[in-house]
Amino acid sequence: MTNNFNAIEFQDVSLAFGDNVILNRVSFHVRYGESKIVMGGSGTGKSTLLRLVLGLLKPDSGRILVDGEDITNYNEEQLMKVRSKIGMVFQEGALFDSLSVYDNVAYRLREQKVPEETIQAVVMRMLRFVDLEDAVGKMPNELSGGMRRRVGIARALVGNPKIILYDEPTAGLDPITARTICELALKLRDLEEVSSIFVTHRLQDMEVLANEYVIRDDSGNLIFEHEGDRLCLINTKFIMLKDGDIIFSGTDEEMKLEDNPYIRRFLS
Amino acid sequence: MNLITRVLVEVQELTLLIWRVVRGLSRSPRYWSETVRQMDTLGFGSLAIILLTGTFTGMVLALNSANTLQKFGVQSVTGQLVATSLIRELGPVLTCLMLAGRVGSGIAAELGSMLVSEQIDAMRALGTDPIKKLVAPRIIALVAMAPILTVICDFVGVLGGLFVSITLLHQPSTVYMASARDAVDYNEIIGGLIKPTVFGFIIAIIGCYKGLSTTGGTVGVGRSTTQSVVVASIMVIAVDFLLSKLIISLLLEP
Repeated sequence: MTNNFNAIEFQDVSLAFGDNVILNRVSFHVRYGESKIVMGGSGTGKSTLLRLVLGLLKPDSGRILVDGEDITNYNEEQLMKVRSKIGMVFQEGALFDSLSVYDNVAYRLREQKVPEETIQAVVMRMLRFVDLEDAVGKMPNELSGGMRRRVGIARALVGNPKIILYDEPTAGLDPITARTICELALKLRDLEEVSSIFVTHRLQDMEVLANEYVIRDDSGNLIFEHEGDRLCLINTKFIMLKDGDIIFSGTDEEMKLEDNPYIRRFLS
Repeated sequence: MNLITRVLVEVQELTLLIWRVVRGLSRSPRYWSETVRQMDTLGFGSLAIILLTGTFTGMVLALNSANTLQKFGVQSVTGQLVATSLIRELGPVLTCLMLAGRVGSGIAAELGSMLVSEQIDAMRALGTDPIKKLVAPRIIALVAMAPILTVICDFVGVLGGLFVSITLLHQPSTVYMASARDAVDYNEIIGGLIKPTVFGFIIAIIGCYKGLSTTGGTVGVGRSTTQSVVVASIMVIAVDFLLSKLIISLLLEP
């Protein structure tokens, strides 16, 4: 049943590459303003899920709805319009290595033939958001792994998409940089009300995203607080994938009470 | 998958890619500035190797043919032999083999690297069709530049032959040039331009196809690059035979 509360909805989605079943009748939804953390080991179809949302892959069966639109049978041209509502942060940043940081962030607006003055203002605002204003003139190969991913986030935010997809944005990063990335996701979730799917296999990300939130005080400063002090987070939910099936769906508190051996091993 | 099925699947994928390029050309956006940039990179960037290839080919043609022609007492037609060989055959084929090596491999490597580092997916996610942005400009650039480079190759080849005729064969330049001019008529030139146009398309589409079908990380990029050069080179030589037959029967037979 389709309703207008879901930014993303999967209905019985299956996908296989030859004999290799990636997703097996997967159904879940992401409400507007909600963050869905997708967990699971390598090769369980986490990244495939995101590619399906963007229409980069087509499901073998089932339906995928984005912002109320059934995109399952959309052609490339129709998908382009849907993609303008979505920002995607790729695993390694996937920056265009022949373009500077500025040109990478400006890419979407340049394609839309936006005037250069507007582009400049937007690019600088986005780079300020990810705290990388100083790197504006650098090339991607001059950046560290963490910086590349932050530029990737800035690029994904151009056009103010209301849906953001994160494909393991913290994988292989040191804890401090990984936390910076998670804080950016918190800012987008709590201050910009962005709906998101955050794919990760790191428990540290889960702890930050499920237990912390950000508010802006009267003087405009950002304050990160822990769940339980003043409120309980209901806008962050989890799903756990194993062998193409969703074996868990719910909150972090519920997940910690699960006695499924795979989940217990994952959380230990 | 057995060999025949694999070949059929590849042909199907290649045909689909060509169809998507053609369909893409009829709809905006069209990336003309990117096309001009590719003309510069792929075409003008190949000028040096084409100049060297053309010059030395013309020189060696004059050198090799002179001995045989002398036996028949017709050394005066050296210019004609060099010009005809270059315009009909060696100019288009050698230029395009060099382009397959330099440009076809470059296209496959660039697109392959972009694919494995998710830049192609990122491009699609940001609302750009990679076929229009990456494939079409490269094809147009090479279809436009291959005939121009071939003409340059032919020209410097004839000059190379002239240089050898004067310095080593001690032939007056006027004899060589008059004989070369005799060889050139419009049908020869048209035939010599059809070939590189077709070859340019083949090199670009195979480079793009191999790049965009890369699998298996950086090793896969290397494999795609090698395959693009091998397949494009063989295709150039095989299609050259078919085109030669067609051009001879349509344009050159009296």
